[in-house]
Amino acid sequence: MPATTKTNRQLFVNGLLNENPIFRLALSMCPAVGISTTVMNGILLGIAVLFVQVFSSCTISLIKNYIHPRIRIPTYTLTIATWVTVIDLVLAAYMPVAYKAMGIFVRLIVAFAIITMRLEVFACKNDLWPSFWDGMGMGFGFMFGMVVLGAIREILGMGTLLGYDILGFRPILFFVLPAAGFFTVGFMMAIFNYVETLYSRRRKENNIV
Amino acid sequence: MKEIIRITVALTISCLVAGTVMGGVFILTAKAKKHNEHLNMQQTMLGLLESEIRGKPGFSTEELDFCNIYRYIIEDKNKTYLGYVVPAEQDTGSGYELLLIDLEGRLITRHRLDLLSERAMEEQDRAAAIANVLGSHEHARYAETMIIAKLNDQRIAYLLPGKFPGFKTFIHVMAALDSDFNLLGLEIMSHEEDPGLGGEIEREYFKNQFKGKSFEKLRLLEVIKEPLPEEYRRYLEREVSQKDMARIGKEYQDEDIHAITGATISSSCVTNGLKRMVKKFVYRIKILDRVSL
Repeated sequence: MPATTKTNRQLFVNGLLNENPIFRLALSMCPAVGISTTVMNGILLGIAVLFVQVFSSCTISLIKNYIHPRIRIPTYTLTIATWVTVIDLVLAAYMPVAYKAMGIFVRLIVAFAIITMRLEVFACKNDLWPSFWDGMGMGFGFMFGMVVLGAIREILGMGTLLGYDILGFRPILFFVLPAAGFFTVGFMMAIFNYVETLYSRRRKENNIV
Repeated sequence: MKEIIRITVALTISCLVAGTVMGGVFILTAKAKKHNEHLNMQQTMLGLLESEIRGKPGFSTEELDFCNIYRYIIEDKNKTYLGYVVPAEQDTGSGYELLLIDLEGRLITRHRLDLLSERAMEEQDRAAAIANVLGSHEHARYAETMIIAKLNDQRIAYLLPGKFPGFKTFIHVMAALDSDFNLLGLEIMSHEEDPGLGGEIEREYFKNQFKGKSFEKLRLLEVIKEPLPEEYRRYLEREVSQKDMARIGKEYQDEDIHAITGATISSSCVTNGLKRMVKKFVYRIKILDRVSL
């Protein structure tokens, strides 16, 4: 893929919808299935991924000319690991309250496919600003996906939203269990694909007219 | 061949740079991090003891006195001893002494340690002081800390920081026992279980299940795979009125631990780990009390 021609806004929206990490790219499915039991989990993991993604994307886009092509994947992993460690340490030292809530999510990130993939596909071929906006888009897209999944599973599974009891009963307990993550992700993917088909069909018709 | 060397060099340099960055940040943040951990521990200790103190009118947290006991394993050439660093209470001055106890629980010797109270928290200072009094071929290894909470020179509780293996890595906890070894509470300090599954061990509805279990019950505590009764869950999350608290508390007093949905292993790791921790502690503190009198 050559350097991108998209504007910054397009890049951001792209990450959020057209190339949403979870529903369109189908990457980082482990957290999407495993951790999306509540909205709060989604938000916290989303924030953590957002920061690591943006920092790593910027770093790689800055040093892309110095990376030997044969060892680019180890370099990406090293970059991500470094940022994860740095964020973890800084949080622990200066933001103990945030660390208590987010600590376990931050340490989980090193192995996330979405970050490595964005570095490989985008950041190592583009300049700093496009990479920054791509990272923002992907980070927020991931957070959006996790929050949607979390909301569906929390309401259906526990009858609560963000911990507040809104239904007063537990409709389908099954949605709390890990297996329900697959169903929810599947449903959301289907919706995204359906909208995509509708959208492209309409665009085709418009073009013909 | 040239290519291989270039790759090796490039990879080494990348690792060195990454390592330098991580190490630098670690050095910069280490002090603040340690301070936070210390603060966190202090808060947790007070939080765990709150219910015990509140029951006694007129006492405030300022009068609480924490006295730390450090347990060491001391290896001679062919014998193993247990070494306890305890505050020297008999003397007027503040100081520490080292009790050497053999595996059968008999006191071997006691050494006066050259250790100031404010330095005793630092592991290195303790190790240096112990090495001074030990023989040249004896080697001391730090094992754990036990904390006795005192109010007006009376033991009111024991606090046990400890760790045991969880589903993924170690779970660090702090347990509080009253003077009869009944469980006052359990707090999860840090863990790396999966959020949403094993991570639920730090939620109120799980860790409060341990609260108030008697020592006899704790020894036989098991994990059951039955759903948590709604009433009990609301009690554990402190959502019921004061009047109902006592009634429900009594009703579920001898209930086993309900496993977390989807995280049976984490649940039983905590239960069994805590059981082992408390049993060992009770055994040790009894020996210690006997020999130090």
